[in-house]
Amino acid sequence: MTPLAAGTPIEHAGTANTAARAPQLVFDHVNKAFGRSDGSSALALADVSLSIDDHKFVAVIGPSGCGKTTLLRIANGLIAPDSGTVSVKGRPPVPGPDTGFVFQGFRLIPWATVLGNVEFALETLDLSASERRDRANTYLELVGLTRWATSYPGQLSGGMKQRVALARALAGEPQMLLMDEPFASLDAQTRELMQIELLHIWNRRKPTVLFVTHSVDEALLLADTVVLMSTGRILEVIDVPLARPRQLDAARSDQDFITLRNHLWNRIRDLVLTDPASAFFGRELNQ
Amino acid sequence: MASASRTNQEYSALTIAATRIGFLILLLALWWLASINVARNIIPSPLATYHAAGRLFSEGRLQQGLLDSVTVYLSGYGIAILIAIPLGVAMGAFNLFGRTLEIYVYALSATPRVAFIPLIIVLLGLGIEAKVFIVMLGAVMPILINTYAGVRQADPELIEMARSVGAGRLRIFSRIVIPGAIPYVIVGLRLGATIGLINTVVAELYTAVSGLGGLLAIYGNTFRMAEYFVIVLCLAAIGVVVTESLRIIENRLGRWRD
Repeated sequence: MTPLAAGTPIEHAGTANTAARAPQLVFDHVNKAFGRSDGSSALALADVSLSIDDHKFVAVIGPSGCGKTTLLRIANGLIAPDSGTVSVKGRPPVPGPDTGFVFQGFRLIPWATVLGNVEFALETLDLSASERRDRANTYLELVGLTRWATSYPGQLSGGMKQRVALARALAGEPQMLLMDEPFASLDAQTRELMQIELLHIWNRRKPTVLFVTHSVDEALLLADTVVLMSTGRILEVIDVPLARPRQLDAARSDQDFITLRNHLWNRIRDLVLTDPASAFFGRELNQ
Repeated sequence: MASASRTNQEYSALTIAATRIGFLILLLALWWLASINVARNIIPSPLATYHAAGRLFSEGRLQQGLLDSVTVYLSGYGIAILIAIPLGVAMGAFNLFGRTLEIYVYALSATPRVAFIPLIIVLLGLGIEAKVFIVMLGAVMPILINTYAGVRQADPELIEMARSVGAGRLRIFSRIVIPGAIPYVIVGLRLGATIGLINTVVAELYTAVSGLGGLLAIYGNTFRMAEYFVIVLCLAAIGVVVTESLRIIENRLGRWRD
């Protein structure tokens, strides 16, 4: 893991023969702005440089609208940066089954069955129809939804829908998993169970994970590295020293966990209180 | 809870069928009461209407009228579907094409299409071609506008999801956009079916008098109200059959919606 502060130059960003040893995901001075309806443009990413090694679990944390989702969409190749380069294994990212994407809003196809939704992600792979079905069934079993294979998404609870979305993202057996606040719309109980389930699944093949979240606890429980972002910039890259396997209740009494948690909490609170765009701007909320 | 479950209770199919038949009997009773109370035989009794139906049927007029009307109706409606769905899909798929044509489509759909009947008669005469064209012109607009709207409102989040798994344009279109548009298309088909039936009668009244619309004019103008009622009920039956068929298709396609 070579966490880079914003602006640090990167030497090893990708030629083909170094691809095998190239880090999984590299952002090199990436900028991205979006046009607004009033003609101005909003900066989503400002000079972002970050390098993520294979098999690492990286959480990105920060206030709303700080460019976290843009980071994921650029990493998947869904959108291109305005300037700077992004590479996955030394090449520009291309959307496809090599990268799994789990969205916050599940994004299941409502008229396809649970099985059909997982199979949909496999159609670009060179698989026969029966291989595709077997593969989809394997991953439905992994997330514990075999019994619901012929159900439609509308018949499932939020937690089950997100498990279908997780199975869909995993079924392509991706090198990299991009997760955009995947558990944000789940209730606290389901959310904790899903975090444990995600760690179990991640341990099997260890894809590189880029996990966007609002929750400091979630970031510290899941990730090897936490990236703190605000208004499109990377402010801090912190390695999480906690041993795995981690358990939330045990971790909560760990001194390192408490220190890191307090640090991140204070940083985020200060960011929110000093951001003119925030609803809490200028409020006297310091304890 | 108890009161809520009482108001929202799902009744069995048998109960619903029984209450519907009960209501039909009530309607027939009201009809019969009206027939004996309104002066000068303007409203025929249910029994007189039944006898008139038998007469029209044995003379073969009812079948001929029905056949003529259904032929005009289904031809016009069918052509409307064949034009409107592909055109609506193309307008939705190619943004510039859609944005160019939409204003003209909305303008044409806002124009009362019966205004074109004199022109259609001049161009196509009084025969079946003119009638089919009038039906088509009425039915085509709601199908076209709804298909176009259905394709345009495709869920951008689902499209982005499909892109993220590597789906190409064609697969996104056939697997996400088109299925998502189907509920809109069905609404258009239903509106088109109703307007098509209205235009069938209008066409039969304004061009060469024929079919059920023609019989309606003949019996209405000669105050043969029993026969007139038979024709009205016949037209209602066609409308019910077509819209019910569409509802069955809709339920089939929308099985995931529960």
